[in-house]
Amino acid sequence: MALNLRQKQTSCIIRMLNLNHQPNAGGATTGAGSSTEEVYKILVLDRFCRDILSPLIHVKDLRKHGITLYFVIDKERQTVPDVPAIYFVQPTTVNIGRIVADTARGLYESFHLNFSSSLPRPLLEELAAGALKADAVGRISKVYDQYLEFVTLEENLFSLAQRDIYVQLNDPSAGDQEIEGILEKIAGGLFCVLVTLGVVPVIRCASGGPAQMVAAALDTRLREHLVKKNNLFSESGTLVSSFQRPILCLFDRNFELAVGLQHDWSYRSLVHDVFDMKLNRVSVQGDKSPVKSYELDDSDPFWVSNCWSPFEKIALEIDAQLNKYKQDVEEVNRRTGGQKGAEFDGTDLIGNTKHLMNAVNSLPELTERKKLIDKHTNLATVLLGEIKNRALDSFCNLESEMSSKGSVDKNQLISQLKDKGTKEDKLRLAITYLLSVETTPQSELESIEAALRESDVDTCAFQYVKKIKSLNLSLNSSVASASKSNIVDWAEKLYGQSLSAVTAGMKNLLSGARQLALTRIVEALMEGKPNPEVDSYLLYDPRAPKSGTGAQLKGPFKEGIVFMIGGGNYIEYRSLMELAQRSQPTKHIMYGTTEILNGVDFVRQLQVLGQKMGLGSSSINPSQ
Amino acid sequence: MAKTRDRTEDFKDAVHTSAVSSGYTESKLAPVMASFIMRKPTQRLPFTKASLKTLESINELEHFIVRHQKDYLNLHRTTEQERDNIEHEVSVFVKASKEQIDILKNRIYDEEKHENATRWLPILSDGSHADEVAHKHGVVLILSERLHSVTSKFDQLRSIRIQDAINRATPRRKKHSFPTTKSQEVLKSDFTEPEGLELSSGPIRVQNQLLDDETLALQVELTSLLDAVQETETKMVEMSALNHLMSTHVLQQAQQIELLYEQAVEATKNVCGVGNKEPTQAPPSFPCLDPWRTARPVINAATPPVKLNRPLASLAPSSFVDA
Repeated sequence: MALNLRQKQTSCIIRMLNLNHQPNAGGATTGAGSSTEEVYKILVLDRFCRDILSPLIHVKDLRKHGITLYFVIDKERQTVPDVPAIYFVQPTTVNIGRIVADTARGLYESFHLNFSSSLPRPLLEELAAGALKADAVGRISKVYDQYLEFVTLEENLFSLAQRDIYVQLNDPSAGDQEIEGILEKIAGGLFCVLVTLGVVPVIRCASGGPAQMVAAALDTRLREHLVKKNNLFSESGTLVSSFQRPILCLFDRNFELAVGLQHDWSYRSLVHDVFDMKLNRVSVQGDKSPVKSYELDDSDPFWVSNCWSPFEKIALEIDAQLNKYKQDVEEVNRRTGGQKGAEFDGTDLIGNTKHLMNAVNSLPELTERKKLIDKHTNLATVLLGEIKNRALDSFCNLESEMSSKGSVDKNQLISQLKDKGTKEDKLRLAITYLLSVETTPQSELESIEAALRESDVDTCAFQYVKKIKSLNLSLNSSVASASKSNIVDWAEKLYGQSLSAVTAGMKNLLSGARQLALTRIVEALMEGKPNPEVDSYLLYDPRAPKSGTGAQLKGPFKEGIVFMIGGGNYIEYRSLMELAQRSQPTKHIMYGTTEILNGVDFVRQLQVLGQKMGLGSSSINPSQ
Repeated sequence: MAKTRDRTEDFKDAVHTSAVSSGYTESKLAPVMASFIMRKPTQRLPFTKASLKTLESINELEHFIVRHQKDYLNLHRTTEQERDNIEHEVSVFVKASKEQIDILKNRIYDEEKHENATRWLPILSDGSHADEVAHKHGVVLILSERLHSVTSKFDQLRSIRIQDAINRATPRRKKHSFPTTKSQEVLKSDFTEPEGLELSSGPIRVQNQLLDDETLALQVELTSLLDAVQETETKMVEMSALNHLMSTHVLQQAQQIELLYEQAVEATKNVCGVGNKEPTQAPPSFPCLDPWRTARPVINAATPPVKLNRPLASLAPSSFVDA
């Protein structure tokens, strides 16, 4: 049972668009008489739900399901008689108020209300009271809870689109109630994901910290739910063996802070960093051309095959594709006599017609290919310009050196800080240094801070991380010692410095992505063998009886869902995908997070925290 | 797969509780609860009724095509005549549906005009019907997209048929060049033998000779006619293939090229219609006229009509996919 989140979410949405009737195989709208009566519908969304739909369905696909128009609930809308309306909104007071107002005005013939997560009792009563007062109860046909409050970007990648969670959870001034509210929201989002997948996983997390609190909240919610009969997981009740249940691993961003900030050299991470990719879309400002918006998802074959390649390879790939395309166009031209000087041989006329037919049939495909090549050429050109301006390659090299070796040439570091690059880039480099090097003597720190201030960089974030490090809050797992493998240690002992450098470099080449601490832990958890690192991890099993000390399902697990609280990024995603592929037998891992952040966004969140803690750039706290 | 939860019952209960708590009497409560079960039968707008009918007819068309698909494609189940009949019926159907869609489209415009005419305070017409009009356009768009998908499916079937016909036609021409020569040789050898035996009987011999000559001549004529007919047949097959090409693909290209042309014309209007009309007469050193120099290629490109016999020319600019 391979979990494909995107497919499941899409099929739920399509069913909703068909007014929650049983979907027909093949999708032809030749249903019973009643369903043909309500063929043309209007869709009303709120902004959050529009973001949910946007990576999954295009506007023209909406029309295939009979949706003529779609609106955002905030906008002023007018009456459209004789048409049922499908509302897909979050269950909030504001939305309920608007729905009541719409029913009072009788904007549409009937209202099918779908809420992205469970509608709480007080809001339901508010809706009922409002509808009653407006004498519009008859207009509300159906009310559904859809459990779709998450955004699926790819088959194995989802996000809860909850912003600034890291700031809110680590805010020193946050009260207990606020934090509980946030954690409930995260647990709610995860619950929606699990309902859509139809699985009840075994939950594991480190003890202490937000991960444990979310795990406990989720466990409680699942238990409450499973007790009711005819619950949403009832059809998967037969899959009890641990072999088929997935494992849900919860992590907190503080577990491995450095990964959230790093510059990565793969095509996808660069696009995410430079163009601020959101919901699989980027907007590119060319030199002379207006802003263009591109979509980068599974429907783009070049993207699918090249998104993890390092940037140098991308240019070569685009070139290769362009040459192939030109060859094919030449071939088509030649065969159909499109060039001047072609002679039409009378006897072979029918052969010519055949060629013409083949050529014309291949034209749409050629146009598509050309569009793709143009798009990626454009992206790569602008990206190259940015890389040159910001010297991103040297940042990447320095950071990967730091994290794999645990030390770096100080002069290089300082000179890079004074050289090209945006303020955020320099800040990220400095913080990565702080996190990857074990001991940081005060003199070095001072020189770094001086270099930062020279470039007019606000050092709040740097101070914040310094403080965290001094408080020694579980940042130790990402320190360099973890990423050096045994081979390197042994080599160092026997052959000295030079060989270790070579093997470290080779190991990086061989493994592609660096071995992140996250990947290590997930591998250990999924294998289920006793391992000192993960033995202390807590285990929650919503299906197991509370009091019993029954056999604890510890694995091995074939499927896993990894969730990062506080913000994740594509570097972690890639690392997990590689783990899944290189496992024997192939495992299936899904990655989710509260929001997908690039380094720039994350460093801004750290800055906000630094400011809240009162660590302005003027004060330099002693690190020890 | 119950991944959603139907809360309608909960909603009904909530309404009931709310009504009771706000002091609704039984008589008031009953119709409210009844409205859940029985919906008021709303009067369907004529537009909606017409559009539903059109949708039904398009579905009918699809069923027809699916039903006859096997017959149409399989070479041995039907004759060419029957296949032509099927094609003819489908095209009649498609035409009728297209007409219905056009009627609906015109009705939208008529209704809009009618609204504007009867509204005697034009200030109040703040587009309060804009959404309704947009919805109707959406309905028409859905119908035409549906028809388009059905016809493109049928076009694919037709292209398979034509491809088969072409494939059948090509080897046949090559095959026939051999049998004709063989038969001629056989005939000649047939004639040499009886001729040798009949030398004795005089006038009968001459008559036979004449008859044989005539028969030979007829046979030669027939074989040449056969060749000519074969050629004509292949040419007809080619013509139908080209016709098919023209009607589907090149028309598409033509639409795209038209779009391109219109956009280019608009661009030139923006460039030279609004600004200076005679840039050539100004002194070349005048700095603000330099932009006009670069704009001239745009003007030149827009004026000559794009030739339609170069379908590949449209590959160069990025295509304009309809939204």
